[in-house]
Amino acid sequence: MRKWQCTTCGDIYDEAIGDPDSGIAPGTRFEDIPDDWMCPTCGSTKDSFEPYTE
Amino acid sequence: MSETPIAKPHVLVIGAGHAGGALVGQLRQFGFAGRITLVGDEPHTPYHRPPLSKAWLKGETTTEKLALKPGSFYEEQHIGLRLGERVQAIEPDAHRVRFDDGTTLDYDWLVLATGARARQLPIPGVGHSNVLSLRNLADAERLRNALKVDRKVVIIGGGYIGLECAATARALGAEVTVVEHAPRLLARVASASIATFLQSEHEAQGVQFRLNTGIDAIEGEHAATAVRLSDGTRLPCDLVILGVGAEPAAELALAAGLACDDGVTVDADCRSSHPDIFAIGDMAKRPIPIYGRPIRLESVPGAGEQARRVAAVLCGREPSAPEVPWFWSDQYDLKLQIVGLIDTDATSVVRGDPASRSFAVFHVKDTRVVCVEAINSPPAFMAGKKLAASGKPVTPSELADSSADLKTIAA
Repeated sequence: MRKWQCTTCGDIYDEAIGDPDSGIAPGTRFEDIPDDWMCPTCGSTKDSFEPYTE
Repeated sequence: MSETPIAKPHVLVIGAGHAGGALVGQLRQFGFAGRITLVGDEPHTPYHRPPLSKAWLKGETTTEKLALKPGSFYEEQHIGLRLGERVQAIEPDAHRVRFDDGTTLDYDWLVLATGARARQLPIPGVGHSNVLSLRNLADAERLRNALKVDRKVVIIGGGYIGLECAATARALGAEVTVVEHAPRLLARVASASIATFLQSEHEAQGVQFRLNTGIDAIEGEHAATAVRLSDGTRLPCDLVILGVGAEPAAELALAAGLACDDGVTVDADCRSSHPDIFAIGDMAKRPIPIYGRPIRLESVPGAGEQARRVAAVLCGREPSAPEVPWFWSDQYDLKLQIVGLIDTDATSVVRGDPASRSFAVFHVKDTRVVCVEAINSPPAFMAGKKLAASGKPVTPSELADSSADLKTIAA
């Protein structure tokens, strides 16, 4: 499971957690999220995210 | 990028906020092979500022996690950092800047990204050490040290910063009163429906409001002990937060003779009146096609878009289509996402029930969506972004009909 970060607001998409509020189940790989998904915090498009390592 | 860049051309970026930070990364991403230098007067590499009034202030995230890029990024990408340094003057014809310590640095292209600073109020007592503004990490550290359980906090200004600080201060157990001189909250930046909704949410959380009320003075000999309002009321306080807007930090540009008018006047490519000097972010006043006039945006997405535009121009790439301005805020468990600017001539319709705490206000002018304010409603924001950009004709009634599919309407 990897993490991705929104370059606009800094929000983390954690594949282990998913984004249940937007219908993205825990365990969903970032690549498998629909293209019209948006950052749940700021509303940036999916292509605003980049891989994140702590 | 593994190879050492050639010395020319040299892009010098003054200001290591979101705009400057995004620009230097984007230049390398677009394959810029010249030299890049990023100058910032704070000791930090570029960081995310919006969490300073929210997650960071509440202690839910760390300073390290605010960084736009890991510290190693700049070395790997051959981006020269001059942090904690300040440029004193620009010499546009010589293509050179002069630092505070008297040293100089030559450039081929200069990008100004020095942002905006918190507006002060011309009233007695604003200089006290417990009267705080919030723009950067140093401000936020002072604020975090002062915000404690049961502290009495008076927030001057009912805009986004004021309301975000109010929500955080309540979460930390402080007593909060927000004083706003306009008859309602968010008067310049949100519709009355959204302002009314947010006010009732804040009131339910225990925030008190004094609308339509000015400030006569901040009282106290050495520190603020009370705020005296224009109606004569005296609000005792341990802390005052000033959230009364920001003004562009454009002194360098002005002194260098660049055209300025509430910010540095730039064209669609963010180029200033000097062909080799650009300005991006909160300090840039740039024409926005769908509004047909120049606007200075104080917005992270705006800063990012301008940074991408300048990077494309400097790399000789075709720039992306201009974005309709958009914004976000979060207060308590409410996520507010806005696309477009409020237009008082537009017709507004509410989609969804505000009592459900998930709804949106669509603003339509001549069949075109000009603005959408979405509360806990990402699909409405997404549809609004598409509609505002495409200009597809819509009717207020179809937008108000919750049973009509937004994706179909926006498609």
